Amino acid sequence: MTKSIRILLWFSVAILGALALGTIALHRGEQINAMWLVIAALCAYALGYRFYSKFISAKVLALDAQRATPAERLDDGRDFVPTNKWVVFGHHFAAIAGPGPLVGPVLAAQFGYLPGTLWILIGAVLGGCVQDFVILLFSVRRDGKSLTEMAREEIGIVGGFVAYAAVISIIVILLGAAALIVVNALKASPWGVFTIAMTIPIALLMGLYLRRLRPGKVLEVSALGFVLVMLAIWGGQWVSQSSAIAPWFTLTASTLAVVIIVYGFAASALPVWLLLAPRDYLSTFVKLGTIGLLAVGIIALRPTLHMPPLTRFIDGSGPIFAGSIFPFAFITIACGAISGFHSLISSGTTPKLIRREPETRMVGYGAMMAESMVAIMATIAACVLQPGIYFAINSPAGVVGRAPDAAAATISGWGFPVTAAGMNALAQAVGEQTLFNRTGGAPAFAVGMAHIFSSSLGGQAVMAIWYHFAIMFEALFILTVLDAGTRVGRFMVQDALSHIWKPLGRTSWYSSILATSALIVAAWGSFLWQGVKDPLGGINSLWPLFGISNQLLATVALCVATTIIVKMGKAGYSLVTLVPLGWLVAVTFTASWEKMFNSNPRIGFLAHARQLASSAAPSHEISRLIFNDRLDAAVTGVLVCMVALVLLESVFLWVSVLSGRMQARIKEAPFVASRFAAEEQG
Amino acid sequence: MTFPSAESSPSSTAAAKRCSAGQPGTAVPTWFVGATRLLLATFREIFDESAYWRFLKRHEMSSCPSAYAAFLREQEGIKARRPKCC
Repeated sequence: MTKSIRILLWFSVAILGALALGTIALHRGEQINAMWLVIAALCAYALGYRFYSKFISAKVLALDAQRATPAERLDDGRDFVPTNKWVVFGHHFAAIAGPGPLVGPVLAAQFGYLPGTLWILIGAVLGGCVQDFVILLFSVRRDGKSLTEMAREEIGIVGGFVAYAAVISIIVILLGAAALIVVNALKASPWGVFTIAMTIPIALLMGLYLRRLRPGKVLEVSALGFVLVMLAIWGGQWVSQSSAIAPWFTLTASTLAVVIIVYGFAASALPVWLLLAPRDYLSTFVKLGTIGLLAVGIIALRPTLHMPPLTRFIDGSGPIFAGSIFPFAFITIACGAISGFHSLISSGTTPKLIRREPETRMVGYGAMMAESMVAIMATIAACVLQPGIYFAINSPAGVVGRAPDAAAATISGWGFPVTAAGMNALAQAVGEQTLFNRTGGAPAFAVGMAHIFSSSLGGQAVMAIWYHFAIMFEALFILTVLDAGTRVGRFMVQDALSHIWKPLGRTSWYSSILATSALIVAAWGSFLWQGVKDPLGGINSLWPLFGISNQLLATVALCVATTIIVKMGKAGYSLVTLVPLGWLVAVTFTASWEKMFNSNPRIGFLAHARQLASSAAPSHEISRLIFNDRLDAAVTGVLVCMVALVLLESVFLWVSVLSGRMQARIKEAPFVASRFAAEEQG
Repeated sequence: MTFPSAESSPSSTAAAKRCSAGQPGTAVPTWFVGATRLLLATFREIFDESAYWRFLKRHEMSSCPSAYAAFLREQEGIKARRPKCC
């Protein structure tokens, strides 16, 4: 292709992207087609990848194809394995894509489709993709070291300690918020509870099949497990209609919370092969298939968005979570735009598989673009719903009222017409008793997905199947995160406790396993319990807390990245990480301040505690709610203070290096010539 | 048993090219065969089949329940420490 044709091609992509973004941003008072979001996203990603990531590769990171990666130098066939770049891409994407990019955009749709879409695109291209890419490359150049190790070596002891504490905190808060989403999706839903309950014996069966009958045939057993799960979904309909069996599976939020806490403890203490590994395989199988199916569905059906670009709730009075667009839209959508959690994956398994240094660009930057596209699809799934339906599903009873007529009247009063009869008909169509007050994002996403699919595949007759397929998919996803997260948290606590008393770190000592598992489960279980008992639905307080901690971890990751760039003598190019870092500091610190000290009781934890203390008669329940508010405020405060310390330590180091007071020493592994490069050239 | 390793994907893609090029009248396009092989290699890596194959190769074992049990014991520490993102 000649240079002039290439220029013309990229110019066309830029024009098309600008046209799509213009359509998204400037249309008022009329509905637009979802394809405009898809086109805008694809053009933004194409331009970002072709130009911005190439600039970072060449000028900032100076990717070196001649330099051997740890996968080549330390190849042991176990942890370090040189792997085809497309395979690593798929592996990395499967590890970073979780429930976050599905839930966050659905919740943020209360502002309309525009703020979330713009943040997902800009945040990913200039922030999230850059973070994942640079952390991956820096880990590759340090023998696959983790973020906490790099923070300790490159910034200092405080950086390392804070990164460690932030990881533990985010895991605990994430697990609490994720478990709450499952509870809200499954409460009073015998169909959903039955389907998810069946995934446990299915996973156990898969584990035994793999161990005894067909060792190693994971793809085969995953396909078999998938068929069994589909049968469970089909059987769930029968269960929900059986007056004898349905009550067994019709559980309240509190009962479900207890069941999930017990499950989390059991999953953490059982052998990996028995439950965790097969469930992980099953979840990944369903996840990849469903994401692919949703992409095909959106492109094939090109649904219309019924949500306006901006709603009246941009003023901060939103029913789903309180707070204005800045900063709350930017912490509500983390995965999909920028997520600190990704830096753990980019400095975990992935750097040990990279075959050649230049491949970090496609894997780090490219996989995050793919996850961002999943977030765009979630935005579409939420915004194809009539706004009245969207708000009826997502608004907590504490805001719109518990009675269907009262809730419908409140939501219609906001300018989003909906009727109790219409919601009842929709609930019957998807096989639920009610769809009012189903906070958490998962039910709204499931209704949106069922709406898209049932438009062509099977029609209204199978809408219930699609809905429960989506619920199963999300719950399975989240329960896998619970399994894995509890275990990872347990190992981290055991590692930390081993410094106090060596035997506590032994992963084969059952007393230590049970004690540390109980500690982690109690920590996230208390957040879950708090969410279940919260009259505002729990998501209002838990999801922002999770968003803040996730973005604070991203702040730590970007501090590490900027420090290394400055030490590399490329301070002039450090803007690539400094700009997203500056933005995240502004967002997270403002959000933290507002969540702690805002005088609106729906936003500020302490204001809510004061309101409870002054307006209600003292009781055990009220005292607990007040304690929870103060705990949330304290957790937010401690996290933000720790990250402020890392930031200060980093800035001090940058100034010292740039002023010449300190000699910059980076802790890279020494250069070794790549055998692969020599083979290709020779 | 024949588990293709992840790193063998480019060569297997090349083999696929040679194979389909040598069969006149084959309806399946070469790129499709290559893409399918790559996809399968990706799935095998994601689903730990490649890791099991490498384990067998490293320990010079053939696949059987006891070999898989040994592989699982080795994976216990690795897999359990691997975070799943949100």
